[in-house]
Formats: sequence, structure tokens, C-alpha cells
Amino acid sequence: MKKAKIRKGITIIVLLVVLVIILTPLWWAVVLSFDRAATTALPPFSWFPYQTTLFNYRAAAKLIDLARYYRNTVFVTTVNTFISVFFALMCGYAFAKGKFIGKKFWYIFMLAVMMVPFESRLVPLYLQYKSWNLLNTYWPLILGNFAYVYGIFFARQNIAAIPDSLAESAYLDGAGEWRVFFSIIIPLSKPVVATLSILQIIANWNSYLWPLVTIRDSAKQVISVGVAMFNAQQNSVYYGPRMAVAVLSAIPLTILFLLLQKHIVASIAVSGIKQ
Amino acid sequence: MKQKKWSKRKIKKQLTWYSFIIVSIVTLLLLVYLPMLTTIKYSMFDVSVIGFGEKFVGIKNYKILLTQSTFLKSLRNTIELALLGLITIPLGFIMAALINSLGVCRTQSFFRIGFYLPNIITGVSVILMFQVVLQGDGGLLNTFLSQILGRNITIGWLSSAKYAKIGATILWCWMNLGYSMLINLASMQSVPTEIYDAAAVDGANGWKKLRYITIPSMRGCFSFLLVTTMISGLSRFTDLFIIGGNSSAGVPGGVLQTILMYIYQFSFEVPNYGISSAGAMILFAMIFAFTMLNVKLTGFFDEEK
Repeated sequence: MKKAKIRKGITIIVLLVVLVIILTPLWWAVVLSFDRAATTALPPFSWFPYQTTLFNYRAAAKLIDLARYYRNTVFVTTVNTFISVFFALMCGYAFAKGKFIGKKFWYIFMLAVMMVPFESRLVPLYLQYKSWNLLNTYWPLILGNFAYVYGIFFARQNIAAIPDSLAESAYLDGAGEWRVFFSIIIPLSKPVVATLSILQIIANWNSYLWPLVTIRDSAKQVISVGVAMFNAQQNSVYYGPRMAVAVLSAIPLTILFLLLQKHIVASIAVSGIKQ
Repeated sequence: MKQKKWSKRKIKKQLTWYSFIIVSIVTLLLLVYLPMLTTIKYSMFDVSVIGFGEKFVGIKNYKILLTQSTFLKSLRNTIELALLGLITIPLGFIMAALINSLGVCRTQSFFRIGFYLPNIITGVSVILMFQVVLQGDGGLLNTFLSQILGRNITIGWLSSAKYAKIGATILWCWMNLGYSMLINLASMQSVPTEIYDAAAVDGANGWKKLRYITIPSMRGCFSFLLVTTMISGLSRFTDLFIIGGNSSAGVPGGVLQTILMYIYQFSFEVPNYGISSAGAMILFAMIFAFTMLNVKLTGFFDEEK
């Protein structure tokens, strides 16, 4: 028994050391962002700022309009999450409980899309939006969300597990499919909504290539691209302000994670979806 | 009369169900199937400027690509980086085994969440941080190595052509280790405990249990991770693009140019849509092969009995 306790203690120490090694870069970035010595040069590593200051944050505020990028990103993320999850539930319900001609065909039609990586249709999709005159608007970022294929698959699995008897009694009361969807399926699908929303928020917040390609006007740009553009302009100098921007842009997802850690970890483990 | 009324209701029922899925169907037709067909088409055309002299050239674009040293280099880079990135699977397994051995308790969930944290803040800010961490002069990694080895190390992990792939893999590991750990852990914890109890009766120790029970029962998890890690490795773009200062050249010396960066270069920097579409088809073929493997291994479509 004692031996097992010692082994457990050693394991905990090993894990702690590894965790410290992994999290040190984050800590150092935060330290640099508060260090006046890091404003234009890179000071040697230290656990705390040499000269604590908010100067880097003020400098960053002058160099980059983060507030605007934040607003744009929050807008796109909110709209996309709402649309994608709602339409995924609609399709999931139809494929789980519906009886209609071609059901199997359309389901395969949708799932097959998972085998077509986004990258392989990037160029024609861009040209398509160009010919529709929709570049430099948010439509290219939004429209694709009307079919969230993984969400459809996931919603179908979960809605299929809802007992038919619940809907049946509503049908007998004369309710149509849409009534059943809104009054029974959606309320019973809260865990599905939570999981899919979390996955969508993370994916939208980090999406980079597509906004980079479709939005040229920097005033409309989202945070990932905006920060990367700023970084490219300030490359190799202004360490402090760059780290300040990095910290500021990482805050929302970090807070979201700390608040919802258990749900997020469970969502990823259940879905196997990265990011 | 009765017959007709009944079929009218039936049609209405059909239409109602279709109203749930029609928007998604149209979206996929317009934004997935149509562009995919266009990629196939363009890959066989000479298209520099759309609308001005698209010329059918058959498989010429593919021939150009497969004999062009810059494309082949990006192909090799991508495969090398993707293979190096697979190291997250054994590392994640080791972390998961250590965390799992703690038993279900608060400490376990603390480590599970702690190690997963880097995964959440992936995104641009992490790349900014690692540009500094992996910097040759005064970077965190070199400071650490200098301390351990007792001499001054100034390797440019992202700026020297010799080490850039290793530097890029360190960044990759930092961003993906938590994911690999989490999937490994979930699979490890789903191994039925009765098997372990039976083995303990037979006198198996911890190591033997791991070797003869845990690892064999996690084969499905390993192949899932292998495929998903390969797929995301093959389509790697964002971090390397930003490291190169928002350019698709794959600095230093092009050793970090992936296929997707090559496609980007010939779509948005020097547009030659025929060439970039053929490149996209080659990328598609590689990812498709792995996806099919995944479908086969996990029996994805089998569920639809």
C-alpha cells in the first residue's frame, strides 16, 4: 500500500514538471507583455517582469485596432454558431425521425462532404464568391454554415435516442413536425446544442485561411488575421506589444475554457473533433 | 376520393420533412459539390485569368506539377512534417497512462484540464508566442538548453533551414499534445475493468497490464489518431504561413512550404488557377485516401444499418 502511495507521488511530481514546462511559454509571454524592458528588445528569460508596466498594452492599442477585430469576430462567431447548430438540429431531426423518400440518399449526400476537405475546393469557392460580388463581405464566412455536416451527424445520433413515444403523444394532439421540433426535440437536445456550440465557437475564433482570402478590407477583418497582419508588420521588434496583443486575443477562449472546462473536455473526447 | 385525399396528406408530409433539410442540401450543392467539380475541371484547364482563354490541356497541369521541383519539395515538406507530427500520439499515450494511473480523483481532472489548456488557445496568439520562444537569440528553448548543456546555444529553431522542421514540430506538439492525450485517455478509460481484475488475479503487474491489455485494446484509438493527425498534418497551413511573416514562401529557404501554401501561392499571389487546382486535387487525393482508411477502420457508414 505504501509502495503504491510513493509511486503515485512520483507520478504527480513528473506530471507537474511536464505541465510547468508546457505552460512556461504562456507564462513568459504574459511576463513579456507587462515588461517595459521587452518593449523593443528581448530580455533574458525571467519569471517576473524586470520593470512592470502597462506601456506595452498602451503601445499595442495605438498600433492595432483590436476592439474592432473583436467586434467583427464576435459578430461572425455568434451568427455562425447559431445558424450552424440550428440547421444541424433540423437536419438531425429529419434524418433521425423523419419518414420521407430519399432519406438515406440525402444523408449519405451530406456525410460524404466530410470526405471533401475544405482546402481542395478553396479556389473555386473563392472565384464563385468573386463572381457573385460577395468578396469583402461577411457572406462567404457565413453562408457555408447553413450545412454543418459534422453537427448533422452528431445531432442525428442523439435525436435518434429520444424515445418515439414522446413525439407520438404530441402528434395525437394534432401537433405537426415543426411543433414537435420546437417543443420537444430542441428542449431535449440541450447537451447536443452545448457540445456543437463549443466546437463551433472554437473553430470560428481560430479560423484563419478563409477570412484571409475573402476579406481584403482590414476594417472588416477578424481577429486571427488582424493579429497576424500586425505581427508581420512588427516582426522582430516590439516584443512587448506583440505579446500584449497575443495575450489580449487569447483571453476570450481562455476564459471560456476555464468556465466550461468540464463540458469542453467532454465535448472533444466525445466528438473526437480537434480544436 | 378517399384515396386521393390520403395521398395529398402524404405529399404534405413529404414536403414538411423536406423543409427541414432543403436549406442544407442547397448549401452543400452550391458551396461543396459545385466548387469541387470546378476544381476537377480547372485542374485540366490552362486558366490564368478567369474568362480569358480557358484552354483544355488534359493532364498537362499534373505533369507540370509532378516534374516541378518546387511542388515536389512542398509535397516532401508536407509529408515529412506530417510524419514528424505523429510523435504526438506516443507522447499523448504516455501522458494519458500517467494521468490514468492516478485513478479517478481531483488530481486527475486537474492534469487532464491543465494539459488540454494549450489546445484551446491554439490560434494566432500561440504562434506569436512561439516565434519568441523558438527564437535563436535569447529564445526560451535556447535559454533552457544552454542551462542544461552548460554552453551557449543559439539555434534558430524557425529561422535556420536545417532546424526549421524540428522547430515547427515542437510548435505542433505544443498545440496538439493535449488533444492526443485526451483521446488516448478516453479510450484507456473505456477498457473494461474486469479484464484488469482478472489479470491481477493471474499476477500481472502494472507494466504487464499496459503491455498485454491496455495497448492491444486501444488499437482502434491509435488508428483513429493516426488518421486524424495525418489529415490535419497534410493540410497544415496557418501556423507556418504566419511564421513566414504572412507569406506562403515557407521561409527559411522554402523548407516550411506545405502543399496548401503552394496552392495559396498559385491562387492568390501569382494566380495560375489551373496549376493550383491540380495541386488541390493532389492534396484531395491524399486526404481522401486517409479518410477512406478512417471510414474503413472505424466503420463509420456501417452504423447506418
